[in-house]
Amino acid sequence: MMRTSSITRDALVAAGALLILAVLPLAFPGKAFSDFVIRMSAFAVFATSLNLLVGYGGMVSFGHGLFYGLGAYSFALLMQKAGTSIPMAFLLTVLISAGVATVVGAICIRLKEIYFSFLTLAFQMLLYSLIIAWTPVTGGDQGLTGGVPRPEFLGIRLDDPHHLYLFCCAVLIASLFIMYHFVQSPFGYTLRMIRDNPRRAGFLGIQVWRVRLLAFVVAGIFGSIGGLLMSLFVSSAYPDFAYWTISGEGVFMILMGGIGVFLGPLAGAVVLLLLADIVTGLTEYFGLVLGIVILFFALGMRKGLLGFLFDFWKNRRAPAGNAIPGKH
Amino acid sequence: MDFDALLSCFGSASCVVTQATGGLISGMLLFLVAAGLSLIFGTLKVTNFMHGSLYMLGAYFAYTLYNLSGNYAIAVLGAALGVGAFALVFERLFMSRVYGSDVLLQLLVCYGFILILDDVVKIVWGAEFLAMGMPETFQHPPVMIAGGVLPVFYLFLIGITLVVAGALGFLITKTRIGKIVRAAAVNPTMTSALGINTALVFGGVFALGGMLAGLAGALAVPVRSLVSGMGFSILIESFIVTVIGGMGSVAGALVGALLIGLVRSFGTIGFPLFTDGLMFLFMTIVLIVRPSGLFGKDR
Amino acid sequence: MLRIENLRKAFGGVNAMNGVSLDFAQGSLTAIIGPNGAGKTTFFNLITGAFRPDAGTIMLGDENIAGMSPPEIVRRGMGRAFQIASIYPTLTVRESILGAVNAHRGWHARLGRRFPLAGAKAQADEVMELVRLTSRADTVSGYLSHGDQKLLDIALALALEPRVLLLDEPTAGMGPEERWQMIETVHALWERKHMTLIFIEHDMDIVFKYAQTVRVLSYGTVLAQGTPDEVRRHPKVIEAYLGTHFEEKEQA
Repeated sequence: MMRTSSITRDALVAAGALLILAVLPLAFPGKAFSDFVIRMSAFAVFATSLNLLVGYGGMVSFGHGLFYGLGAYSFALLMQKAGTSIPMAFLLTVLISAGVATVVGAICIRLKEIYFSFLTLAFQMLLYSLIIAWTPVTGGDQGLTGGVPRPEFLGIRLDDPHHLYLFCCAVLIASLFIMYHFVQSPFGYTLRMIRDNPRRAGFLGIQVWRVRLLAFVVAGIFGSIGGLLMSLFVSSAYPDFAYWTISGEGVFMILMGGIGVFLGPLAGAVVLLLLADIVTGLTEYFGLVLGIVILFFALGMRKGLLGFLFDFWKNRRAPAGNAIPGKH
Repeated sequence: MDFDALLSCFGSASCVVTQATGGLISGMLLFLVAAGLSLIFGTLKVTNFMHGSLYMLGAYFAYTLYNLSGNYAIAVLGAALGVGAFALVFERLFMSRVYGSDVLLQLLVCYGFILILDDVVKIVWGAEFLAMGMPETFQHPPVMIAGGVLPVFYLFLIGITLVVAGALGFLITKTRIGKIVRAAAVNPTMTSALGINTALVFGGVFALGGMLAGLAGALAVPVRSLVSGMGFSILIESFIVTVIGGMGSVAGALVGALLIGLVRSFGTIGFPLFTDGLMFLFMTIVLIVRPSGLFGKDR
Repeated sequence: MLRIENLRKAFGGVNAMNGVSLDFAQGSLTAIIGPNGAGKTTFFNLITGAFRPDAGTIMLGDENIAGMSPPEIVRRGMGRAFQIASIYPTLTVRESILGAVNAHRGWHARLGRRFPLAGAKAQADEVMELVRLTSRADTVSGYLSHGDQKLLDIALALALEPRVLLLDEPTAGMGPEERWQMIETVHALWERKHMTLIFIEHDMDIVFKYAQTVRVLSYGTVLAQGTPDEVRRHPKVIEAYLGTHFEEKEQA
């Protein structure tokens, strides 16, 4: 009997999750908690979008941070300089990212494996150097100064921390829901088929590059939504958002949470942020600690936290067999 | 974009010479780093993503050794050997565990090390920019060619790099060790079955690649400033170089590095804000025309 | 149905295909035999677009498909199964076949609904039944036995409702009992679906029992073609095989 996935059931789960997130601040009042959730949502959306490419599509992009930075700067600049409303800026950011992703994707996808990875990274560093160089517009290495205005829309005032919190949670849940739907659609299965056996996919009549490009664009859109959320939160945009370390952290979140699990990156985002918050309170050398944690996970718990737990659960019910990579 | 500046530079012999020599030494340093990267990739089929950190370590080691000994030759040799040893340890203890794994895992291990090393450098040497200045041996008036400036140190750098390049080429193609390395690259199981210690071979290659990067760092110290995280931009450039030249090809790395060095050097005049963009554009064009690079072996 | 004329392909200095001309009638069941490494899989690769021929035409129906890419050729009704089963190890049998049916119907990039699509189920069930894998529908295909994986490989090709089906050594790597089961399954689905079936085979007993016609391919040329009996007596064929298997059969 096949596991049936159902849109209605998932919608109910999503609504439930949103409800839970909405009432949590009652149990944990105070800025620390809601700030954490907002930052987590930005990272979780970003990391999940990267996992579409890496985990489900088998396309290892080293430069996904391109979209995070692009989303942050596009949104912030649109709000600051063009004075658009928030929904309009959101929409325009999505369109800009889709456009950039189409161009970048079309160029990168033709290349094999490691060259694809390098070229995506090159594009990201290109954006980074553009941001640093174009000081009059982007503020250069200081980041965007002047703040990001948050005009009211539809009765929602993002100046109000409660509204901001709810908005970010809603965007998080909606983004995860949509991405999950993509993964469970025929498109998602075709993507997995291409990941597992691209040659055979060709022999099924599939134009592999088209599917990959579409996946790249979808991932790019949601990657930039992650950046958008962050820029909304910090009311600015910083060159760091486009620096290669964002891509590295994305990979870390995915591998931490478990590459074959849809919600893995979300778990990874939580862990990364917890780690960041705890460690920066203790020492200024966060990089050192993070590096050690990464090594521990990379060499020790390879399938990530959720992957590890999944395997543990599976092996309780049946004798250990050969592992098939990627399937949970 | 400043086309006028660029054109007027082409018109002036002194400008051309100065920029060309600047580009040449950038290219030489880049070649050493990229050659190491390419060697490691060609033999071990793994991308050493922390290669830039080895360059950084080489620079810092040389800085300290020079300050301690006052002798630049010792500084360079010591740095290269020190980084080579470090690379060997890294390979044996960490990298070798993820050889067969997903490239993401390899990336992650290297990323972990980059973070660790960047902070270690900050802890030991501090977070500010450091500069060593020109060692006494090279404090001579520069050579003038057609009005353009060619510092004596540049000659030394170019010379050393060419010697190293020649030695590397000779080592790989003509000697028995080179043959063993190539055999192990093509078929490690068989080579191991023939009684050759492949672990030693792999460790040795990684150490050699690391030494090249460390050497580049040590040679760069008189002409570049040192800071934590300096490895990353040269890593990106050496990626571009290996992609243009073709992964696994040392000759390709030389050609690619020189091209990139010159593009960068003349590019800073014409496109001061966008030199990176220019390099990347160059790489894109090469990849469109020759997807495996100029000298690449199609894997 | 499938007519190949003067097919040529050289790799470097090696002439893999030397002006091969072959004709396959609609609904026929043909075996291609020949010494190992003599170009049989290359032949398949050329007519399915994996390699581009240097010269020659490949008429599928009324269309010359020489030079087209695999997706284009597959969409024109040519299905292929591989010598080493080429499947999707992380998907179950049912999911894989549904995926293939989706691809066939052009639904593979649909974003609006969930997988599996209702319209695809019926066909997928039929294909599973044709290859007798229904009992293992929910097994993850990476866990299947070698023989079942080959059946799945064939199923993936069948999902495309091909007019011409190419099977590259369907019984390779199997024990004697399993071989006959496999070839019976293949024969049964051929009888039900009436497509033009071409299979590469090394086991002569199977070839002589099941094939209508036999083509012998050796180092890029057609040595002989005809009914199994005609081929078995052909002097060149005997020579190519060094007479071992055939003479034994004659004397038996």
